[in-house]
Amino acid sequence: MGGPTGDRLIRVDMTTQTATTEAFPEEWKLLGGRALSARILLEECDPTCDPLGPDNVLVMAPGVISGTAAPTSGRISIGGKSPLTGGIKEANAGGNPGQDLMKLGYRAVIVKGQPQDSEKRYALDVTDSGVEVVDASAHKGKWNYALIDDLAKTYSQTTSFISIGPAGEMMLTGASVACTDQEKERHPARHAARGGLGAVMGSKGLKYVAIDPGKARVRQPAERKEFAQLCKKYTKDYLAGPQMFKTGTSTVVPVANMLNTFPYKNRVEGQSPDAETLDGKNIIASFEERGGGMHNCMTGCVVSCSNVVHDKEGNYKTSALEFETITMLGSNCGIASWEDVADLDRLCDEVGLDTIETGAAIAVYMDSGEMEFGDAEGAKRILHEIAEGTELGKTIGNGAAAIGRKRKHHRVPVVKGQAIPAWDPRPLKATGITYLTSPMGADHTAGLIVNPGLPQDEWVRASQESQLVNAACDSSGFCQFLQPTLDDIRTFYGLLYGEEVTRETIADLAWQCLADEWEFNRRAGFTEKDDVMPECMMKDPIGPAKVVWDVPKELAAQAYIRLEAREELFTAKATG
Amino acid sequence: MPQVKIPPPYRGPTGGRATVHVDGPTVGDCLAALAESHPGLGELLQEPGGALHRFVTVFVNGDEVERSALDTRVGASDELEILTALAGG
Repeated sequence: MGGPTGDRLIRVDMTTQTATTEAFPEEWKLLGGRALSARILLEECDPTCDPLGPDNVLVMAPGVISGTAAPTSGRISIGGKSPLTGGIKEANAGGNPGQDLMKLGYRAVIVKGQPQDSEKRYALDVTDSGVEVVDASAHKGKWNYALIDDLAKTYSQTTSFISIGPAGEMMLTGASVACTDQEKERHPARHAARGGLGAVMGSKGLKYVAIDPGKARVRQPAERKEFAQLCKKYTKDYLAGPQMFKTGTSTVVPVANMLNTFPYKNRVEGQSPDAETLDGKNIIASFEERGGGMHNCMTGCVVSCSNVVHDKEGNYKTSALEFETITMLGSNCGIASWEDVADLDRLCDEVGLDTIETGAAIAVYMDSGEMEFGDAEGAKRILHEIAEGTELGKTIGNGAAAIGRKRKHHRVPVVKGQAIPAWDPRPLKATGITYLTSPMGADHTAGLIVNPGLPQDEWVRASQESQLVNAACDSSGFCQFLQPTLDDIRTFYGLLYGEEVTRETIADLAWQCLADEWEFNRRAGFTEKDDVMPECMMKDPIGPAKVVWDVPKELAAQAYIRLEAREELFTAKATG
Repeated sequence: MPQVKIPPPYRGPTGGRATVHVDGPTVGDCLAALAESHPGLGELLQEPGGALHRFVTVFVNGDEVERSALDTRVGASDELEILTALAGG
């Protein structure tokens, strides 16, 4: 036994605006991030509650390894009952808040209640001397970047922030939670975006969380020497490898396009004629003249997949401009210029919106005939309308299903109320099974399998294994782009706590995470009837093979039945 | 014949097969044979002029092959591995 001791939980009651701390349960030491969020929600949140009411519980939980010297391990999970899906949701982000909380020994922040006065705003200050809820009404309505600029004037340089923009304050169900990156300017560019958790934070009147680790050291593992050696070897091996994400995810565009998973115009096609102009290679090429470049969003990251995009004058515009954003706000809306998508990405980060949900919603709006596909300026106006809270803005800010209902449009690509990401279930059947059976709804980070040639008898296993590996990864604090395996994760856990973590244990932890989440959803009222692809996925064929979603629901449902673990489960890399 | 490991995103043209065997004295010849025997795979690997797509990397027995060195010789017992980055949030 050994490793980090004295860990605590922060409890915040927003009804009384008070914060306290308590000991972190020893039996939960291998629970972090997504798994810890799921356990807390299952035990402490009524699954039938109003997700925007006082009984919902907002959890902020760094991964088990966060705050240690392990490479690329500082991610934080945000969890709660989703106002978008009505089920449990976890979305995670990079940046520094996760590792800063863990350096102070805080394994999670649990936020309950709701202020009487919905016009007031509050903040949670976390430092090495304690936790405190403070008035933040002066920051009401601020966009994320302006908020952080202002906070930087009063908080120390070592402070990182978790915040919401106007979308979260208006409780729009497409709202994200922003985390600041490790750059000196602390850009609020890393978003726990999916599922509308920004709206949950907004419903609690919590505008931001400030975490100042001061001079707190990295967490000390039980087996210090071996842990340090493992970190060194893991980093060395990664850097000696192909580093597939060294130019970021935006450069994936041409391959995705060739594989018919680069949706165009509200997914009526799987390929876009604008793949060349949207290709991330253009972003890479811009670095030489404009500045910007690849960077690491969190301290200690060795992947550096995040691009920093500058405008033509050489000024910072946004970070990171990812494949999903380029697809959903670009190709899917018929917008051909990556520069326009960069503007839209910045606006989403400012207002605090999920770029996937928002891109899908704008595409549905365009498809319904209210706006021309390709109207980039119109899309930007919509984002300003969301920030202003106009009727149209709020409807689109509430996501693809909301605008689809409003417009009575027939083509609304969502599963459980959440927009389908770029990765298309029609050519990628196993990924589609993830969208149907994951507790998260249509979320590629829950289990992405980009293998269009996978035989049918392997779809279910591929989905389940990917869901397990990604659940474990999202509970560890490791970034999915580091691509850790279950064997990697359990080895780090073992050295952190000075005890063996077996394959059986790590597989059980991953499965229990899914089981807790499925149970939450069952209690919330979900049944197999909710595991349905939208009609457009079954009726709109894409690609030369004219593929549609044609997987029998009985086959997809087999992903709920735990399969016997095989060797590949422990050596498969996380992929999101 | 050299064995070629196919990355998951490219297994549509191979019918889901993770490894295939092709005949050829060089890396470039193996890729050409691969493209001929598996329609649709060639365009995923190479540009019309024959250069490797920038998102494709080829390894021989674990060593990365320079993009300009597709004339690297391979033997019957060698293993070629194709990698492509394909994920993204």
